[in-house]
Amino acid sequence: MKGRKSLKIATSAIALAALATTAGAVDWSTELGDHSGVDLRVQVIQDPFIDSLKEISPTFEGVTGASVTIEGFGYDPLHEKQILGCSQSDDQYDVLFVDGIWIGEFVEAGCVEPVEDRVAAEDPEIMAMDDYIESFAGQAVWEGKLQCLPIAGYWHMLHYRKDLFEEAGLEVPKTFDELMAAAKFFAESPDHPDVAGMAMNFQRGSPAGQQFFEWIYSAGGKPWESNFPGSEDAYADQTPLFNSPKAVEMIQFFRDMVPYGPPGVEQFAWDDRANAFTQGKVAMINNWSVRTPLFSDPKISKVKDVFDVALFPHAEGATAVPPVGGWVMCINQHSGKKDAAWDYMKWFAHPDTHKTFVLAGGPPSRHSAMQDPEIIAAQPWVPTLYESAKLAWQELRPRHAYTFEMIDALGFEVNRAITGEATPQEAMDAANETITRMLQRAGYIE
Amino acid sequence: MTDISGTLAGSLPQRQRVDTERTAKLLFIVPAVIYLFCLSIIPFVYSVYLSLFQAKLTRLDRKFYVGLENYKDLLTDPTFLKSIQNTAFLTLSSIGIELILGFTFAKVFLSIRDMRAGQVLRSVAILPMMITPICVGLIFGYILNPTLGIANYLLSQVGVDPVTWFGDPAVALPTVIAINAWQWTPFMMLLMLAGLVSIPPSLYEAAELENAKWYHVARWIELPAIRDVILVGVILRVIDNLKLFDLVYVTTRGGPGDSTELITYFAYRQSFSFFQVGYGSAAAVIILLISIIVTTISVNYLRRLQND
Repeated sequence: MKGRKSLKIATSAIALAALATTAGAVDWSTELGDHSGVDLRVQVIQDPFIDSLKEISPTFEGVTGASVTIEGFGYDPLHEKQILGCSQSDDQYDVLFVDGIWIGEFVEAGCVEPVEDRVAAEDPEIMAMDDYIESFAGQAVWEGKLQCLPIAGYWHMLHYRKDLFEEAGLEVPKTFDELMAAAKFFAESPDHPDVAGMAMNFQRGSPAGQQFFEWIYSAGGKPWESNFPGSEDAYADQTPLFNSPKAVEMIQFFRDMVPYGPPGVEQFAWDDRANAFTQGKVAMINNWSVRTPLFSDPKISKVKDVFDVALFPHAEGATAVPPVGGWVMCINQHSGKKDAAWDYMKWFAHPDTHKTFVLAGGPPSRHSAMQDPEIIAAQPWVPTLYESAKLAWQELRPRHAYTFEMIDALGFEVNRAITGEATPQEAMDAANETITRMLQRAGYIE
Repeated sequence: MTDISGTLAGSLPQRQRVDTERTAKLLFIVPAVIYLFCLSIIPFVYSVYLSLFQAKLTRLDRKFYVGLENYKDLLTDPTFLKSIQNTAFLTLSSIGIELILGFTFAKVFLSIRDMRAGQVLRSVAILPMMITPICVGLIFGYILNPTLGIANYLLSQVGVDPVTWFGDPAVALPTVIAINAWQWTPFMMLLMLAGLVSIPPSLYEAAELENAKWYHVARWIELPAIRDVILVGVILRVIDNLKLFDLVYVTTRGGPGDSTELITYFAYRQSFSFFQVGYGSAAAVIILLISIIVTTISVNYLRRLQND
């Protein structure tokens, strides 16, 4: 035990020394308070970056004397646990990782303490707020106020097997039509009978619901009246357009892609999609960038040296709007250790720490990280990711208090269309009707 | 030893003695009443109260009274109605399978009960019901994974195309039923085995003298003899199936579409995913009513059988 502590202190000292040697390095011993004896508890999604978070946190412990406990949960359980905890004024956790799309719900329920004033009180060079990538940074803002720090941005890229594409002499798809043609080719290829064409998220609920939002802009459509890339106020008119011709056409496209997916693709969610690609069972997937490092991990990936990434595809006549998502880091409104929580966030969000986090496998969320030669050398997909990040639209998915319910309702109907229980038109009509009723009940539309 | 209570009782007037006994009885039931009141009655009353409101957990301060609107909406909600249908189908099918297989295995274990191997096998056979349902779901999730699972791999070895166990609306519910029956058949088997063991050997001997076939023995001796045991098992399994949740939560999440949506999962989603506690409470109240009706009918039937 003692040995482990000494090792932790030594590791922290080395890390600090390394940081101090870089130009303009922050002296954290003066920037951060003494939090000896404080047990800071961080509640986080069980995404691949949790290991990177655990790897770098001892540095903070070494500087402040605090101990940091990081606990991971699955997507739905995390949402449930956080909201239930908040409704009971639970102070068990001090730092909350919140999905950018839950921000409206969390703010409305009073679960997070806005960080805007704390940021304003800090040295702007330490906070480096301008360095955050705009398409994701906006997800930390709600009701015109910075609520949290946008520290783990994800963007979608098309992940594909470059070896198979080269072997077949195929171009990497840029449009939906090209995507379907390539998926069909690989699904029917006698040379690789175990490899399916493309895996997408079709499982009922959040996976299929989010998939709708991820593709609709690149399909040339929009989910509701005033939500489109560049909209001044995405929430000005929330009249649903889930049964618009573009939306129905896109669902038909999803349905047409089913035969080119792996067996059981109708029930695929994030992990299934990524696992199929990692195991070499599928030629293409659209996937969040947070999982990209896993594909190059020789311990678990069979496609380490044979995959590459490309921009998210788009419909003919439309432009690619790569999906953006990720996690913002917030102070639990009910925490009794807010100052320690803020110090941890401030330290974690700093560009230097962020770079260490990214090099440990975390998702880059800052311009500086995306352009860093060391990061690009370690993660060759980062330039494509940066390009995707610049094309993304921050209001991709709804962020109000009904987002979870709305996405689930939509995912229910998308899945019905995928499995053939309803036609795309019937499913989307039903989705539009349900969501309209939901938004009326919430008072968001008349 | 002196019987103090008897001495005291004998020395007290009749009325006073009755009062003391009544007070003692009341005091004995107080802990149970407090327990029930705090953990069952209050939450139930609060659920009924919430079910009359449109309320979101994150905006409880803004809840408003809607009367029976939530109940009206539920009874026209196609997903809720489908969940009732699915739950009924799952309950009947699972119990049907468990009864048939349970009886068959009970007969097998009865015939080998004196062998050491029989005792070992019986212990092994009841292992599934000792596993937490959520673990059962996870294990079968891996086994039946359409791309990487062993089930499809084995099928492919005999030339069968991959089956989308949880992805095909026509296959998903039967798959859930099969897993459920796999886990709980041992329970039914144990009950029936206990019943079969208690049948007097003379009845079997009489049947043998009459040259009765195995199905005659089953129909006229065994099933009537273990009828009460079967009914108790059925009642317990009905209650279990009405509250089945974990298995669906980890395998299908109610999908594809609404093909495996069960009433408990529906209520859970409303209350703990969407935090629509008004609507979710109304669903919970309806589930409770269904449970009360089904179990009351079953228990009355059991009593009538016992009286016959």
